Amino acid sequence: MSHLNLAQIQELKEVMEEGFDDLVMTYLQDSDAKMKTLKKAIQVQDSVQVAEVAHSLKGSSANICAEELSAMFKKIEDSARAEELDQVPYVFEQTVEEFSLVKTQLQQVK
Amino acid sequence: MDARPLKILVADDNQSDRMILCAIVKKMGHIVCEAADGNEAIEQFMQQSPDIILLDVIMPNLNGQEAAREIKKLAGEDMVPIIFLTSLQEASDLAACLESGGDDFISKPYNKIILQAKINAFSRMLKMHNTLQQQRDVISENNEHMKHEQQVARAVYDNVAHSGCLDLPNIKYLLSPFSIFNGDVLLAARRPSGSIHILLGDFTGHGLPAAIGAMPLAEIFYGMTAKGFLMADILREINIKLKNILPVGYFCCTCMVNLSFRKQEIEVWMGGLPDYGLYRHQTGEVERVKSNHLPLGVLSTQAFDASTKRYEFLPGDKFYMWSDGIIEARNGEGELFGEARLFSVFEDKKSEDFFDRILSSVNHFCGENGKDDDTTLLELSMVDESVVGKVDIDLSSGAITGPTDWHMVYTLRNETLKTFNPLPVMLNILNDVPALRHLSGQLYTLMAELFSNAFEHGVLGLKSELKDGAEGFAEYYRQRGEAMASLEDAYVTFDFDLTPTQKGGCLSIMVEDSGKGFDYKNIKAEPVNQTNVMYSGRGIPLIHSLCDSLTFLGKGNKVKVSLSWQTQPEE
Repeated sequence: MSHLNLAQIQELKEVMEEGFDDLVMTYLQDSDAKMKTLKKAIQVQDSVQVAEVAHSLKGSSANICAEELSAMFKKIEDSARAEELDQVPYVFEQTVEEFSLVKTQLQQVK
Repeated sequence: MDARPLKILVADDNQSDRMILCAIVKKMGHIVCEAADGNEAIEQFMQQSPDIILLDVIMPNLNGQEAAREIKKLAGEDMVPIIFLTSLQEASDLAACLESGGDDFISKPYNKIILQAKINAFSRMLKMHNTLQQQRDVISENNEHMKHEQQVARAVYDNVAHSGCLDLPNIKYLLSPFSIFNGDVLLAARRPSGSIHILLGDFTGHGLPAAIGAMPLAEIFYGMTAKGFLMADILREINIKLKNILPVGYFCCTCMVNLSFRKQEIEVWMGGLPDYGLYRHQTGEVERVKSNHLPLGVLSTQAFDASTKRYEFLPGDKFYMWSDGIIEARNGEGELFGEARLFSVFEDKKSEDFFDRILSSVNHFCGENGKDDDTTLLELSMVDESVVGKVDIDLSSGAITGPTDWHMVYTLRNETLKTFNPLPVMLNILNDVPALRHLSGQLYTLMAELFSNAFEHGVLGLKSELKDGAEGFAEYYRQRGEAMASLEDAYVTFDFDLTPTQKGGCLSIMVEDSGKGFDYKNIKAEPVNQTNVMYSGRGIPLIHSLCDSLTFLGKGNKVKVSLSWQTQPEE
């Protein structure tokens, strides 16, 4: 099962041309940093920051064609906005796993 | 799409998102500038003046909505479309974006096709907005220009079509301050006889065509009235002038009135106007005075009918004139004031202040809605002539009067006397005096006689009795040739003096020559027709028959003739 929307990523490659590698790198670095921030925010149960960071990751993941990953961040964001953080650490575990798969696939697509 | 690339500001705190957006926008051929938060977005907006802004909603420091508000404020009346970039989904969140000044939004993940379509749509809108703004500026500039021109036109018009004697105590009038541009004209002037000419004109059309037509009309009206012309002459003159200068379809509905104090009557010519009211003081009745002619400027002179109607006009009687602006005044419901309402004002006989009552009736009818300035109304009352005073004749008024008061000396010497015929030049000058124009034949003969007397008999010293026989004729021309050849210090001087009189004018011409003169004193008393011979053959009887008086002066080398005329016909 692909972790990226392949038709979309093809289109994105066409748009970005030689900038595509740069984009992937930027996305991965940025997301790595944000994942760390998100993890800490979940640990301290800062629902406002959780929602904010998850929202940002949701958007950028969608743009990089990682639909499943984006849907997971949306789940975290929605829970945080509803102040229901109980399930969030569990979802986050899944997200970390999905992110690493996306990362691998993105590097393959390059 | 417009070929010109747009400058598009991309403001998004997420670097990878920004990269994708920038890549899409660049691919579309536009120029991109970037900002990573709200503050940077405002800064970039001020520095780069982008055409369209793509603005992320959630950004650190200053969020997208706050930045949008600020940018819209800075943009003023310039159009800067803001498209919000959002993954927000709540309807209320999206609504808040639009309320903060956003024009549209696009959600993540960005779809190239949709983004392109939106940018193109706003590009078209921008183009339209800029065109509108330019047109608005052009319109307002033109409007300023037109206002200025109207002011100038107004000033010129006021000088030409001044209100004449509308301020006389027996005249009450109301004329819209914008009258020159609604086509209404109101003129009044005293004739030399003391009677009053009044003209109400309503030109077809508005604006400059109406104002332009009004100028010659006023010029003719004032010029000819001052010179004492009758209504029929003035109307004929105005009619042909307007017919000649106005385009087809433009004309002037006119009512002209002559109020004669002595005859206690008004003479009326009306063309193309609604019925007017003539109020009889003694009976309280109102007679309707109707138009029975076509407006001025329609018919040729041949077809034009200047016939007038006369109405008895006794002290206390009043004549009411109006433009159709009163009848066509509308109330809030769009209903016309109408003729019936207008004439019903006269039914209430409690007082005779119909002028004020007509106005208040119209104002009452129109209410707040119809503060219509397009109203011309005039009331003319019969009073004793002493109330309006004597006429101050202004003979210089109007170009049509021509020169009325002047003096000219013209001296011809030696060679010029032999070779130059001075008559056309002098007659040309005399013909500038309109009253002399129809005497030009007579004047020519007179001048020709005077000149030949002065030159042939005076300067050259020839005797006309020589010319009696065929031989004498030849002898005459032989002597003439001799005299011409030995001409020295010769001159003939014409001295013209034209002065206005109460009823017309007087021209006196004095001709002096360098000759020896002749003894005129002994024959002065003789009957003119028997003195031909004794005047040394000078064409005296002919001259005498052409002018009012003839006098010889000095040693007989000066002759003075005078000629007077009346421009004011008998009433």
